[in-house]
This record gives sequence, structure tokens and C-alpha cells, in this order.
Amino acid sequence: MSEDRTNFGFLDRCDDRVAHLARQAEHYVHSDPDSCLFKLRLMIETMAKRLVSMSAPDMADADLSSMLGVLERLGTLPRRQADGMHAIRRDGNAAVHGNSTPTPTAMRRLKDAHRLSGWYARNIKRGSKVEPGSFVPPPAPFEQSKGESKLNREIDELEDRIEGQRRRTREALMLFREDEDTDGVRKRYRIELKALDMIAAAAGEPVIDAEFVALVMAMDLEALFEHPSFGSDSREARRNAEAQLAEVKAELERNEHLYLEERANLVQEMRLFKRRQLRGET
Amino acid sequence: MSAKHQDRGLVMNEVPCENQRTMSATAPDIELATLWFLAARAMTAADGTLGTARQAAAGLYAQAILGISEEECEQAKAEEVISSLTLLDCLGRLSKAPREVGEKIMTGVMMIAYANRSMHPLEVRWASMLASSMKMDSDDFQRCCVNARVMAGMLGTHAASEVTGESDSDEAGADS
Repeated sequence: MSEDRTNFGFLDRCDDRVAHLARQAEHYVHSDPDSCLFKLRLMIETMAKRLVSMSAPDMADADLSSMLGVLERLGTLPRRQADGMHAIRRDGNAAVHGNSTPTPTAMRRLKDAHRLSGWYARNIKRGSKVEPGSFVPPPAPFEQSKGESKLNREIDELEDRIEGQRRRTREALMLFREDEDTDGVRKRYRIELKALDMIAAAAGEPVIDAEFVALVMAMDLEALFEHPSFGSDSREARRNAEAQLAEVKAELERNEHLYLEERANLVQEMRLFKRRQLRGET
Repeated sequence: MSAKHQDRGLVMNEVPCENQRTMSATAPDIELATLWFLAARAMTAADGTLGTARQAAAGLYAQAILGISEEECEQAKAEEVISSLTLLDCLGRLSKAPREVGEKIMTGVMMIAYANRSMHPLEVRWASMLASSMKMDSDDFQRCCVNARVMAGMLGTHAASEVTGESDSDEAGADS
């Protein structure tokens, strides 16, 4: 790829600001991977703002995480795109907080950003032909030595592990597998539920007026919360449940910190290697 | 995930543990995970909405409260495990589950129902069927509902960030 060649030219007709940020990220990917991540994070924030302004304008001033959450809930942001945006958000934030970004990580996120841009452009310019083409990694300004290539491969392997673990965590949390025909399965359950409902009705169970039931339940709940035999238990239950939830969250955090530490060690190793190279010791 | 096979005790309002049947109350396993996913999936099918955050809240509940591990979640959702099971299978399994397990599942399922702040007739019917299969009386059901409301409020705020395996408090999430 020549120096003025970009992977993000197709964005010019769609969103100037996003296109500009993408080009800057591309420019920095080898020379300053941290800056590349800053730009990419800003890029997806800009994308999210625009998408939110179209579907949930009252959320346009929310933070990025909340905006992505809203877009997911509204069904605007599919699971795969959400994963890509969250990965950029997370690595961008880590870079802002002083965790050094290795080039292979920045390159991965740049590639994610290219894929996301294609999806974004198709959403913004509905009906228009969008051709992002294949992602061509910007070439390194200097040829890598064997030692650098080896370290970069190690970083790539670590990134593979991180992405694999994050994907597994996410998949475990979801009620349905990503490769599952979710609509089909839920349709089947719905048919079964309706059949069971009819059987219940035929057996003399009362027909359910859901709105009435919901109202009664809400009123009951208000009363129950205040009731001495339930109220105090509920507060205790909440404390216990929060402690258990905190335990799960702490483990997720520990995993993320371990990844960041391992990544930082590899970045440090790369720095030392480059210093030795400059001193002619390798 | 360290949750595997931990006895997490009773999070919810304590209920006398009687009616012990075949499923272990202390050792989360694939049976429990499969039962949970069947019951929870049916509840999301009942009102026709399925948000990522709602799914994630259900996943967090499974891991934090039921003590099901990531691996067990994956295994329970495998096609060969869950695809051939019907909701009648779910009711049958629940009727054989220990009381404590059944109440936790009922609470989680009601948490899913409360997540969108409305009740659909089929959601009410599904809750009623689950309660009947366990022979749960109205006091216990109400207790589950109260706990479910508590959990819905609590997990709803966490689910969006947990979906990507991070928390609000880590440095990545500090400025969101």
C-alpha cells in the first residue's frame, strides 16, 4: 500500500469526521499505536453518536458505553459489531490510562474499525452502494528484524487468547448461542407456550388479564417491600446478591488486568529489544 | 470461572429446604444449567422481546446466583443438549429439582419478566406453570417476585457492561 493509500476512502462520501479520524488512526498505527487507539476510540464514539441521534436522540450526550448499550437494546447494533466497538472502546480507554499499546493490537483494532466502517456506512447511506474493499494493513516503515517479528507474533498470540476468552465470556452470558437460529427457537417456545396456555384454559385455569395481573403484582410488591417480614429480608438479600455479583465481576476484572499486564510486559520487551538494536547488540 | 461448584448458599429470602429430590442443591451442573436456560429462554419468548442487556442480566444471574460456570453455560446451550428439549421437559425437571434450586430459578425467570417493566399474558402463564410444577404456594411465589424485582433493578444497571466481560469500575470502563 502506498503512503497516500487508505483503507477508509469509501467513508468520505458518508461521514467526513469519521473518515478523517480513520485516516489519522491508519497513519499512526506503526509510529504511535497509542495515538492510533485514541483516534479509533474517538472514531467509534462519533459513529455511535450519529447512530444514537437517529434512533434515540435523548441519549446523544451519554457516555460511549451507554450509547452502545442503547444501540444494542434497540437492535441497531448487531452482536458482532458491538463486540468490535467494545474492543476498540476498551483498548482505547486502556491506552488513555497509560497502558502501552503494541502495534499488532493497534493493527487488529484498525482492521476491526475498517469492518465496522463498512457496516456503519451502509447504515448511514441506506440504499447507496458501499464498497469498503478488503483491509490492506498499512506497511511498516522499516523492515522488521527476526527478533521484532517473533515478539509481534507473541503479541498476536496473546491477542488471540484475549479475544477468545472475551468471546467465551460473552457467549456464556447470552441465553442463545451466536450461531443459533434465535428467532426459530423462540418461535418454537412460543408455540409451546400457547399450546400450554390453551391446555390450562381448557382445564379451567382462569384466562389471564396480564395488565391487571401486572398492576396487582406491582401493588403487592410495593406493599411487600414495606412489609416488616419481607422488607428487611429484601435488603439483606440485595446485599448478599451484590456480594455474589461483585465476586463474578472481580474475576472478570482480574482477567482483564492479567491480559493488560501480559501485554505491557511484551511491549516492554519490545522496547528493550529496540534499544539493544540501536546499540547494535542484536 | 471460579463459580464452578461453589456452594453459594441462599441469596434470596431463606426458605425451608424441603422436598429434596434428584438435583443437587449445592453442586451446579449441566442439568441445572440446562434447566435454567430452558426456563429463561421460554420467558424471553413469552413477550417476544430479546435485548442483549436482558440476556446478559440472565447470564449474570446464572453465574452469580446459581453458580453456573462459563463452561457449564456453554455446554448446556450446545445443540445436542438443549435443542431436543421441550418446555414440558423443563417443567418435568423443575418438579424434580430441590426446593431451593426451584426458587432460585423462579426468581431468575421473574427477573427476566420484570426487566422490561411489563407483563405479557404468556409471561404470567409461564410463571404460573413453573410455580405449579414446583407446587409453590403464593407466599413463596411473592417472595420470589420481591427478590426478582431487587435483582432486576440491580442487574439491569450492570448487564450492558458485563456483556463484554468488564465492569464499570475497571480502568477501561472508568471513562466509558
